[in-house]
Formats: sequence, C-alpha cells, structure tokens
Amino acid sequence: MPGQDGLWYKDAVIYQVHVRAFYDSSGDGNGDFRGLAQKLDYLQDLGINAIWLMPFFPSPLRDDGYDISDYRSVNPTYGTLDDFKAFLAAAHQRNIRVIIEMVLNHTSDQHPWFQESRSSRDNLKRDWYVWSDTDSKYKGTRIIFLDTELSNWAWDPVSKQYYWHRFFGHQPDLNYDNPQVRDEMWSIMKFWLEMGVDGFRLDAVPYLLEREGTNCENLPETHGVIRELRARVDKEFPGRMLLAEANQWPADLSAYFGSGDEFHMAFHFPLMPRMFMGVKLEDRKPITEILKQTPSIPDPCQWCLFLRNHDELTLEMVTDMERDYMYDEYAKEKGMRLNLGIRRRLAPLLDNDRRKIELMNGMLMSLPGTPIIYYGDEIGMGDNVNLGDRNGVRTPMQWSGGWNGGFSEADPEMLYSPLMLNPVYGYQVINVYSQKRFDHSLLSWMKRLIRIKKTNPVLGRGSIEFLYPANHRVLAYTRKLGNETILVVNNLSSKAQAVELDLKNYRGNILVEMFGRNIFPRIGELPYLLTLGPYQFYWFRLRRI
Amino acid sequence: MPEGSILSDDFIRELINVGEVDIVVGVPTHNDARTVGQVVQAVRAGLLKYFPRERTAIVNADGGSRDHTQDLIRAASISDLNVASNVHALRTLHSISTQYPGGQSSGAALHTILAAADLLQAKACAVVSPDSTSLDPEWVERLLRPLLRDGKDLILPVYRRHKFDGLLIRNLVYPMTRAVYGCPVREPYPADYAFSASLGSQLLAQDIWTQEQGRTGTELWMALTAIVNRCKLAQAFLGTKARKEDAPADLVKAMRETAGTIFLSLDSYYSAWSSPREPLEAPCIGCQPTVSLEPTRLNRKRLYDMFKFGVSELEPVFFSILSTATHEELKRLAGMSEDDFSYSADLWARTVYEFAGAYHKAVIGRDHVVQALVPLFRGRAFTFLTENRDTSAEQVENNLDALCQSFEREKPHLLEQWAERK
Repeated sequence: MPGQDGLWYKDAVIYQVHVRAFYDSSGDGNGDFRGLAQKLDYLQDLGINAIWLMPFFPSPLRDDGYDISDYRSVNPTYGTLDDFKAFLAAAHQRNIRVIIEMVLNHTSDQHPWFQESRSSRDNLKRDWYVWSDTDSKYKGTRIIFLDTELSNWAWDPVSKQYYWHRFFGHQPDLNYDNPQVRDEMWSIMKFWLEMGVDGFRLDAVPYLLEREGTNCENLPETHGVIRELRARVDKEFPGRMLLAEANQWPADLSAYFGSGDEFHMAFHFPLMPRMFMGVKLEDRKPITEILKQTPSIPDPCQWCLFLRNHDELTLEMVTDMERDYMYDEYAKEKGMRLNLGIRRRLAPLLDNDRRKIELMNGMLMSLPGTPIIYYGDEIGMGDNVNLGDRNGVRTPMQWSGGWNGGFSEADPEMLYSPLMLNPVYGYQVINVYSQKRFDHSLLSWMKRLIRIKKTNPVLGRGSIEFLYPANHRVLAYTRKLGNETILVVNNLSSKAQAVELDLKNYRGNILVEMFGRNIFPRIGELPYLLTLGPYQFYWFRLRRI
Repeated sequence: MPEGSILSDDFIRELINVGEVDIVVGVPTHNDARTVGQVVQAVRAGLLKYFPRERTAIVNADGGSRDHTQDLIRAASISDLNVASNVHALRTLHSISTQYPGGQSSGAALHTILAAADLLQAKACAVVSPDSTSLDPEWVERLLRPLLRDGKDLILPVYRRHKFDGLLIRNLVYPMTRAVYGCPVREPYPADYAFSASLGSQLLAQDIWTQEQGRTGTELWMALTAIVNRCKLAQAFLGTKARKEDAPADLVKAMRETAGTIFLSLDSYYSAWSSPREPLEAPCIGCQPTVSLEPTRLNRKRLYDMFKFGVSELEPVFFSILSTATHEELKRLAGMSEDDFSYSADLWARTVYEFAGAYHKAVIGRDHVVQALVPLFRGRAFTFLTENRDTSAEQVENNLDALCQSFEREKPHLLEQWAERK
C-alpha cells in the first residue's frame, strides 16, 4: 500500500486515463484492466503517483461511460471485478494510488433504478428521480449541452411525465432530496472504498439538487449532501480523498471545500482556459487575475490543476469576449468547437510547439495545486476533430509505430476508435517507444519535470506570492514552504524577454536552476535582471550560502 | 540621458517592459493636467472597444510639465496590479510617460513618440492632442482602422469647425497644399492623426531632428513628406474639434509652424512640385459637413488696423520680398476704408508665393520673411471674415474652393520665383 500520509493528494501527480483507451490485452479492440495493469511500469517510470480512472462501469456508453447502468461492477468490455482488484493491487504495489469516477448526479436511463422508476408513478423508486407534470419548473436553470439539448426536461412516454436531466436526455438526474438515494450512493462508494480505492472524482457535483427560483447550481442543500458524504468517508475511511468536478467561478468553487469538511480537492476550472489565453495573448494578466480572484482554501484542501482532459476545453467560466477570443485563436475550424468549448488535445492546441508545451506543463507543475496529466499528452498526442462528440481526444494510446500503434492486436477495424494516422500526430510518429529512446523527447522531458516536481513538496504544498514585474509577458512567482523557497519565472512570449525582478526580500540568496543545478548570480541590492528565450521558464531554488 | 539619444535609460526600461505592440497612441503634452486625463481615458476606451485583441500602448512625450500631467497618463494603465472595476480588458495596456530633453517642442515630442513606436515595432501609431477634449473612443478607431485594415500610411483628421475657426489653415495651409502638392487634405497640419510603421520609420530616418522642421511644424512636415512620397493617404472625419478658448493666439509662432514649414518644404521637395503630377487622392472616411455656423463675436476691426499698420511699418521689408505690382496693390489696399477693403484670393495667392520665393532666396533672414507675412495674413483674414459673415456653410465651402483655385491658377507665379533664381 502507498504511504499513510493523509495529505498525499497534495504531493500527487495524477495521470488521467480511460481504461478503454490505454492498452488492450485481450485483442478485442478495447483497452482493459489487464492491459492497464501491464502498463503500470510505464506509468511508474513516468513518475506519476496517482491514476484517475474514467468510468469503467457497465454502461450503454452513450456518454463514454458517464451514463452508468450498474455502479457495483465493471463493464465486461474492460474485464471483471477481479481484474480491477488485481490492477488496484498492482498499482498500490508501485505506490500509485487509484482514484475512480463516481457519477453521483445521474444514471443512465438504462439503469434498473430508472427502469423501475419510470414503470409507474407509484413505483417505490419513482421518487429516486425528479419527475414533473410540466416542463416549466426550474426555469432559471441553464442548459449545459447546448449543442444537443433543448431543455433540461425530457418527456417519458411510459409514465407520461417529464424527468429532469442536466446533461443528455438519456441521463436522468437522481433525486438527492430522497434519503434512500443518498444512502444507496454512499453504499456504492463504500463498496469501492472497502476494495481499496484511494479516492473518488465526483462528477457534476453542483447539480445534485433543484430548487425553484434558483439556477439549481451550488445550492446549500447540495453542500449538505457533500458534507454528509465527507463525514462518512472521514469516519470509516480516513486518508481517502474526494475530488470535486464543479465547473464554476472561483468563489462558488471554493465553497466546495466548505470549512475543510466537504471536498479535499476541486478542479480549478477557470484557471485552465486562462493559461491558454495568457500564452496566446503573451500576457500574464488573465492568469494572475483569476488567481487573485481565487479565495484561499482551508489548509488540508488543494486545487487540482489540468491543461487538458477527456472533455472539451471548457469556456463556460470565461467572459463572452474571452470566449470569442479563445474560439478565434484556438478553434478556427467550426468542427473544433463543442458546446461551450474546444475539443482538442494539448499538442494541437499549442501548434505542436515543443516550447509552448513545456512552458504550459511547467506552469501546471509549479502553480499551487495538484497537477493532472491527460493520457497521451506526455508524448504530445494529437486529436481527430472529425470523430463525434469528444471522441477525438479519446483515441487509443500510441505505444509504438507498429500494429495499431501497439495498442491492440485486433484488426484495425475492430478498435473502439480509429487511430491517429496523420503525418504529424499519427502513431508512426508520436509514440512511447520512439520517445523512450531519446533523452530530448517530450516524454523524457516530462519524466524529468515530474521527478523535480515530486521531489520538491514546496511545489505541492507551498504558498504562492506573485512578483508582478513590469514586463507583463513574464509570469513570476515564489513558492514557499518552511525554509524552502522556489522562484518560478515564465516567459509567456514567443520572443526573448528581459525582466527585472524585485527580489530584495531574498537579498543574499544564490539562485540554483533546478533542471541543470547551475548557479546564477547572488541577489543583490538592484532588481535582479534575467533574460529568457521564447516561452522559456526557469525554476530556481533560493539558497543562502 | 545618453548623448545623442532622445530616450532616457529609464524610458528604455519602460519600453522593454511594454515589448512589441500593434498600436501606439502618442500623446504630446506640456502642463496639460486640466484636459489630458479626459483625453487619455477616451483613448483607452477606444482601444478597449475597437482593438481589444491588439497589443497597445499609450506613450506620453512630455515637454517638462510641472503639473500632474504625467501621473494622469500613467493612471490609464491596465495591468494585473492596476485594474479599474469598470474596465474589462483582455490584455495589459501600458500607459507610459517620459520627459524629452530641451524643453517643450512639438517636434521633439513627435520624435520621441516615433522613436518609441519604432522600438516597440508598432504597426500603427496615432497621435492625439492633449487638449482634444471632444475626443471620443470612435476617433481612435477612425484614425487607426484604415492603417491596419486598408494599408494606409497616413490618416489626417477632418473636423467640423466653426466657419471662422482655423483661419490660417483655411487661408494658407490647405489651399497651398492642394495647389502646390496636388493633395486636397483639409488638415495638413494635424493635431490628431495616425501613421503607419513604414511612414514613421521614414520620418525617423530623416535628418531633420536638429533642424527647424524637426522642432516646429513637424506634423505638417510629416504630412508633406507623405504627400511627396506618394504615400497612401486618407482623411477621417472626427466631428467637432473642441476649441481651446483660453489659448493665447501667437500668430507669429503659428506662421512659423505653417508657412515656415511649407516654404521650407518647397526647397526640399522642389522636384516633387515643380513638374506636373497626378493629384494625390486622400479619400475622406465618414465625412460629413465640416462647417458650423454658430454666432460668434469677432474683432475684425483689429485685423484691419494691424494690416494697415504692418503695410506701412514693414515697407522696406516688403520691398525686398514682394514684386512691385503686388507691393503696390497692397499699399492701395491699405489706403482703402474698412467697408471697401477686399484682399482678393488671387492677390493673396500671389503674395504667399512671392513670400515663398523670398524665403527660398533668403532675401532677408528667413524667419523675418515668415514674420512679415503675419500682418498681410491679418488683412486676408479680415476679408475672409467679411466675405463669409452672413453666408451658409455651403457658401463658405464654395468660397474656400474658389480660394484654392486661385492658388492653383497662380502656381506658375510660384514657379517663376524659383526660375528667377536661375
């Protein structure tokens, strides 16, 4: 088992992966748990120390597994419960923790609960979902999947009432006003916690409850449900972690930490698009502004940072002007846009510019929070916007230049998704095998970055102080924990920059560059002058010798 | 200040922090605290509204203000340290200020702005007057958009002015630019204008900055340079130009800046105006009627008296400058009663051209030539006011057009002034 530090999640580097997409051990064209277990050595070598698994439960897969039809089992395509247990044990053996997905808000319409619920108005499970005679309740609630859904209500021809759904129509929302639902969901979580999972990523938490006259998001009652779950986790499974998916503004987001009695971690959704914006604008303002707006959080809590994930690059938490800018700069083709976001991977978003990819990963690892790496981004995988929905960023992991990119021995037409084939991002060019061979590959560089991040707890737990040099193209900050201080200087510009840093508080310290361990001049009375190449960044350890 | 540089090390440091930009808006100032805050806020609003994605900077070249002009400029910055709650900007906007050496000079101010825009690699640069209190955000767009979108090189303003405002521009600068250089721009000596990086670099590279045209009338020199070099010009209608009511009318200074600069340009650009060329078009973007007719009180009598006095006092000077015929005609005019007085357009055009010739030949000190034109201009201004006293806006325009035609008809007379030298 990994160590017993209750705050382990603060030092973690999380790798997000979909079982289906990672490695197919059975040759049926779908990744599976046995395959994932076989690739744990790769992940251990990469340096990550936690895995976040996307939903692997039985599901009609109309929303890539976020439409669950059985919470206590494994989708047979990915293996068996025993396969999962074996994978979990193997991960723990390597000191890698496992975080699984828990979709609390809704089920698939194929879930037996919903089938029962819709069977008649007086069924015992009728009240497990949200039913109404009209579709005019909760009018103030926004529609999330604007491209596909016209209403948050769907008509059920069987029981002749409307049911509430915040996502797709085939994903009815559970009714958390019903104590039976809350108890059952806890019972499911307990099932997995007893098996040994280290935490849950709780999907779509702001939407658990509905109240008339509100926007049905972030309601006090929703926080009540979370506190109840957290108390149960702390009591029965101390050291396990809850991670919130709440795509909200910082003030609303931070409420999900409560007073340390709700979530341990929450994704910082508004920061992510602003990192892309900052690099494109060559201006730190979007980044520092959103972090300034971010309230402080209770000590045991932590932000979760990411550059890309399985969803579109969400632009819900930006202004209209910012959204237009992001679309124009990052999604010039209409096909790249989905809902209020951009369905692209990291490398294509950054024009496959190695310098920008490194800079963004450098910020990901050095800003306050726990970083998440989306599978394949460590080698610079591309996307296929011609695949529907968000499937373009969920293509098979590219292991080698061989058959099916080393992902599966199945016939190519049997694969769950087409492989990337184009001359820039195709598996023949971008794959683990070829990148393992060279020290200068992106993969090798990511390994170094992760190693440095992991060996410096200050980056996970330290405070942050921005330096605000007059050159706005440079984002500079210090991270501090106890006697340790790290200075981070990022050039967001495509051009070389000179910057003067006010480091008078650190006068007398020598800077030690953390990648090469070379020393830089001692900090004196004058502003510290640094020059940075295009998109270059430095991490310095401050040492008083 | 390093020797031979107009930019201080501190200012260079500020420019480094600004970095590469797309747009610079320059603001030359000297003790303008009363108005510049309003102007620079409107500029900022214009940049945010019309160029939210472009990298922009406001650059103030100050001639040694002792009020808080520079502070007001700097306060327009938008950064992660300085965010007004009612302003939403994608980017940082630097608003920086420097004092150029040598005391107040519009040329040195423009030189500083040009140098800054050049170092910042600005694609377009607008310059606005610190007392343009009627400046609204739309001005920023009208001045800059044609440069960025249409590849123009110079955008000159067109204002709606009172029919008796800008007499020197209307009676001398505009007609002469149109007649001599073939370019009908209404405000060749602009207070609010914009130019491309290429024109800015051209001007910056000229060896004028230690000479007269690099000190005063430099904006006019720039316009004439652009015309002579057949740059792509356009005019932008900016609406009403606020008048500086309390500004002392230093006509000698104004004459130096305008007539002095044009006369100097005739020397430098002889080949450009002495042979026939296609007229240079300067389309007006968004143009509307330019003449307003509000009632106003003017002391015409004083103009008449000063003309008479000047003709009498400066007779020996005019003897050197003017042809006998013109001189005689002016003396005859000086003898006329106020009611009968009329300084005709043809005579005024000939007068100006003969002054240009005298300037060229330096029959007396060139500055004396320019100064001597002042009382005669007053006579012409008297006639302009009289002619247009009760006229409609259209009639004012017609009279102005007739004046320009006189300058065009008399252009051979200007050529003769140069030929005589040969």
